[in-house]
Amino acid sequence: MEYNREVVEQVCDTLIRAGSTFLPDKKEAYKRAIAKETNTQSRWVMETILENAETAEKNRSPLCDDTGIPHILVEAGPDISVTGTVLDSIREGVRKGLKGLPGRPMAVKGNDLERIAQSQGMYEDPGMLNMAPILIRSINKDVLRIHVVMFGGGPAIQGHTHRVFHKHTVEEVKNQIIEWAKESTRKLGCSPCTLAVGIGRSHYEAAALMMQSMIDGTYDKQSETEQEITQRVNEANIGALGLGGNTTVLATFMKVGPQRASGVRIVCMRPCCCFEPRIASVELHGV
Amino acid sequence: MKTLNTPLGEDEIRDLNVGDQVLISGYIYCGRDAVLPRVCSLVESGEIEHTDIHLRGSVIFHTAVSPAGVGPTTSGKMEIEGSFEILSQAGVKLHLGKGAIKSETVKMLKEKNSVYAIIPPVTALLGNNILEQRLAAFPELGMEALYELKVRDYPAIIAAAHNNSIY
Repeated sequence: MEYNREVVEQVCDTLIRAGSTFLPDKKEAYKRAIAKETNTQSRWVMETILENAETAEKNRSPLCDDTGIPHILVEAGPDISVTGTVLDSIREGVRKGLKGLPGRPMAVKGNDLERIAQSQGMYEDPGMLNMAPILIRSINKDVLRIHVVMFGGGPAIQGHTHRVFHKHTVEEVKNQIIEWAKESTRKLGCSPCTLAVGIGRSHYEAAALMMQSMIDGTYDKQSETEQEITQRVNEANIGALGLGGNTTVLATFMKVGPQRASGVRIVCMRPCCCFEPRIASVELHGV
Repeated sequence: MKTLNTPLGEDEIRDLNVGDQVLISGYIYCGRDAVLPRVCSLVESGEIEHTDIHLRGSVIFHTAVSPAGVGPTTSGKMEIEGSFEILSQAGVKLHLGKGAIKSETVKMLKEKNSVYAIIPPVTALLGNNILEQRLAAFPELGMEALYELKVRDYPAIIAAAHNNSIY
């Protein structure tokens, strides 16, 4: 198969960065949280997480042994063509990146039922792990921008995608998100978390918005609603690794899409673990 | 920080309290939901005596072992938390993982004089402190097999001991 070599190499490098590097705003968020944390054990945990991130970045090695499932968002400018070759090249770049990181060899073997039962074991090659379906959106800048986000298993276990019905009020939705977040961060074990939230008209749309919230969200600039959710979850005193303290959640990233007239909102809430969102991006010109 | 060197003695465990920060060194076993029920079956059938697995005074770290490194998985998974009692009875003194466990498990740990500790999921740092690695049993499970590592100064916090828990 013919690949676009630049896309392959850049996606490979981007995946390795996503799995091994904290973005600058996350490092600063940790430093702020450490400075204000009153629980000495939780502060020690956050210092250790930051030290781990510095070591992983230096070594270009995994932040966490659960290196995660690759999720890709492609942004295409007005004159950019996202061809089948580009999509195949992204897939090849992901495969190469997983081998290089190295990703955990966790592609499950077998047919549909065997994979569900996990009865046939796993491939030894980390590159056999398929990425999730690619998400595409348009942008005004004339580039091909590729974001790689690695989704670990813990947040997938504790996340929620469900309808919030009744009462046409924002408060109803916020309260539900906060209730889920308190329950899930308590059980997760890998806090402090970042809450990624998508609110849309279907499970598919809500999950896609949740994914976009990770890419568009920033620790430096939070809306009033995001700040309120963060503050109210932190009041639960769950803390890093559940040890107590005032940093259960570093931030909330929320993306709201179109809503149904019927009053049902589908909310997808992922309690991203202490390393997530594990994300890196690249801009390609002239592709 | 208290230092713990495996194999762990009964008195060392009695001296541990919830909230203690410890550094664990020596040989530890690694396994999680795929392999721990199989280890339990070996214990229950008595076959474990004919293997190279020595649980008396041991630590079991709830992790896969792969080229990506090691890091705790959720200890509250049914197959993992469900292994605590049989493994504690067989001599495991410290179960090492992450996340909340049930109050009945906390109570059982007291009865067996075992503890549960949580470890930060710091794979890059933990990797620097692995001195040796051995596949101990069930190689067909790949990264989910039972491994034995020799580690130095693995940091942990006691999360359940003497029928007390941080959760």
